[in-house]
Amino acid sequence: MRIVVAEDLYLLRDGLVRLLGAYGHEVVATATTGPETLDALRRYEPEVAVIDVRMPPTQTDEGLRAALAARREVPGLPVLVLSQHVEQLYARELLADGAGGVGYLLKESVFEGDQFVEALERVAGGGTAMDPAVIAKLLSGGGADRMARLTERERSVLALMAEGLSNQAIARRLYLSESAISKYTTSLFGKLDLADDENGNRRVLAVLAYLNRL
Amino acid sequence: MTIATSWPARAARGFWRACVVLAVSAPVPVVWGAAVALAVWWGSPWAAIAPVVLACLGTVALSRPVSEVFRALVARWTGTVVAPGYREPAPVTRMSTGYWWNGTKYARTEKEAREDQELRLRFTDPATWRDVRFTVIAPLTAGLVAAVVPGGVVAAVLGLLQPSAAARSAGALALLVAVAAAPHAWRPVEAVTVRFLRPTRSMELSDRVAELTAQRADTTVAQAAEIRRIERDLHDGAQARLVALGMSLATAEKLLETDPEQARTLLRQARAGAAGSLSELRELVRGISPPVLTERGLVDAVRAFALDSPLPVTVEAAGPLRVDPPIESAVYFGITELVTNAVKHARAAAARVRVAHDGTGLVAEVEDDGDGGALVRAGGGLAGLRDRLAVFDGTLEIDSPTGGPTRARMMVPCESW
Repeated sequence: MRIVVAEDLYLLRDGLVRLLGAYGHEVVATATTGPETLDALRRYEPEVAVIDVRMPPTQTDEGLRAALAARREVPGLPVLVLSQHVEQLYARELLADGAGGVGYLLKESVFEGDQFVEALERVAGGGTAMDPAVIAKLLSGGGADRMARLTERERSVLALMAEGLSNQAIARRLYLSESAISKYTTSLFGKLDLADDENGNRRVLAVLAYLNRL
Repeated sequence: MTIATSWPARAARGFWRACVVLAVSAPVPVVWGAAVALAVWWGSPWAAIAPVVLACLGTVALSRPVSEVFRALVARWTGTVVAPGYREPAPVTRMSTGYWWNGTKYARTEKEAREDQELRLRFTDPATWRDVRFTVIAPLTAGLVAAVVPGGVVAAVLGLLQPSAAARSAGALALLVAVAAAPHAWRPVEAVTVRFLRPTRSMELSDRVAELTAQRADTTVAQAAEIRRIERDLHDGAQARLVALGMSLATAEKLLETDPEQARTLLRQARAGAAGSLSELRELVRGISPPVLTERGLVDAVRAFALDSPLPVTVEAAGPLRVDPPIESAVYFGITELVTNAVKHARAAAARVRVAHDGTGLVAEVEDDGDGGALVRAGGGLAGLRDRLAVFDGTLEIDSPTGGPTRARMMVPCESW
């Protein structure tokens, strides 16, 4: 994959480039400020971009704004946003356009190289990758009582689904068979009055939209 | 304060008030009149010294009660409250020697110490000299104007009792003037009292200096405590975890050749430890300054907080207003504290936060539907919040009747950009 990496701290940028290289991906450009990021996204049109939220010159949410601006110009441009902290507010903003191809993860998710690259590939393919911490916050928000209708297992399936995982990946993560997972998804979709969708990505967006509404 | 609308009622009220003003302005001129009369009666210029000294002392002694009566009258009649601004006496304490210390001097008994302090305070307090000035000015202004009414009535009575027509018409005229002036003649007392009896500029400034000194001391203490807390958290948390991490890595390095399986377990633990210290640091950073506040400013930080709150919180904000970061931070933590109170103490089911800039300052209101009964107690959380806002000349108002709802309003004067 052709990837743009936007991160202002040298050690982290270098580490990311090396990690992605180790998995056989090509980093076509790196950026260290918000404006540079937007510029690189426009010029290289990468298959996916890894972007840090906080960057110079203002040390505010430069990276996030660059990602949102680029996606306004090129709808669905895949971006994976990394941050030291995750906020529901930012997650909602990233998901708001409903175009998919969005990731939002804590920086330490790179510790799990396999899972990180898997998430990146999912985002590049138009899927989503939400950090478990954001999903936990969404689930424990205002709709906690509606979530009470779900069984423990259904809730963990819902959480993994909201992170953007496919049935196959959920099955691997929970050490269950894929048919067991589809049984759980059918029952939880029924309990939440959501229409089940064959298209995996549309399904994730429906789940996130549902959680977002709460 | 009674509301008199009809003209005779207003005239009667005015007559009464004019008499009162005249009566309370009178003591100082009476003292001076008596002194001058005594001096004239004795004849010799040297003999004038004693009465004048006595009159001066009398003026000083009378100035405070007279001023207090004026202040009370104005507050009662017009609702205008004139701040007295007298200095507070320092505490009188008993020393281990058995003597009493009043801040300036040791005395054998407590009574003696207090009397000495009272006298010193009287003569050094700038409010005393302001009162003296007032008691001289008031009879010459408000007193004279008020005297028109009772004076007119007395003149009318005397004139109308005279047989001559000229005296009678003069008396009638005096009555007319007195009656016409009655509803208004007492009014100048308000303006004169406000102008001459309020704390002077230098008194205000010295009060302000005292207030700021106290605030600075509070802030320094709070800051030091905060830094100690951060140091402790880092010391017992992230630092300790990193030491453990280093040890795990060193052990793993050693075991790499002899027991690769054990080394792999240690490396996995090390990775988990790194993730643990990161999340600990994240919580610590959130407590010092929430990242969204730095990245997006107050309004989005409050929105992010509302999303994470277990309570449904509605946030209303007029635009993405930005103010100075220290003020943003103080108001942010104020809002989070008030919402947390709503959950913890008032058992509220919902809360509403409003943030706006009203032209003079940042206003943040937090309203909940809980049990109410919130009080600003010395040493309590709300008092701490009030102190933190006071550093920016900000205020905290709490309206929280028992049974709810609670409405809290923070206001910090500042500019928005």
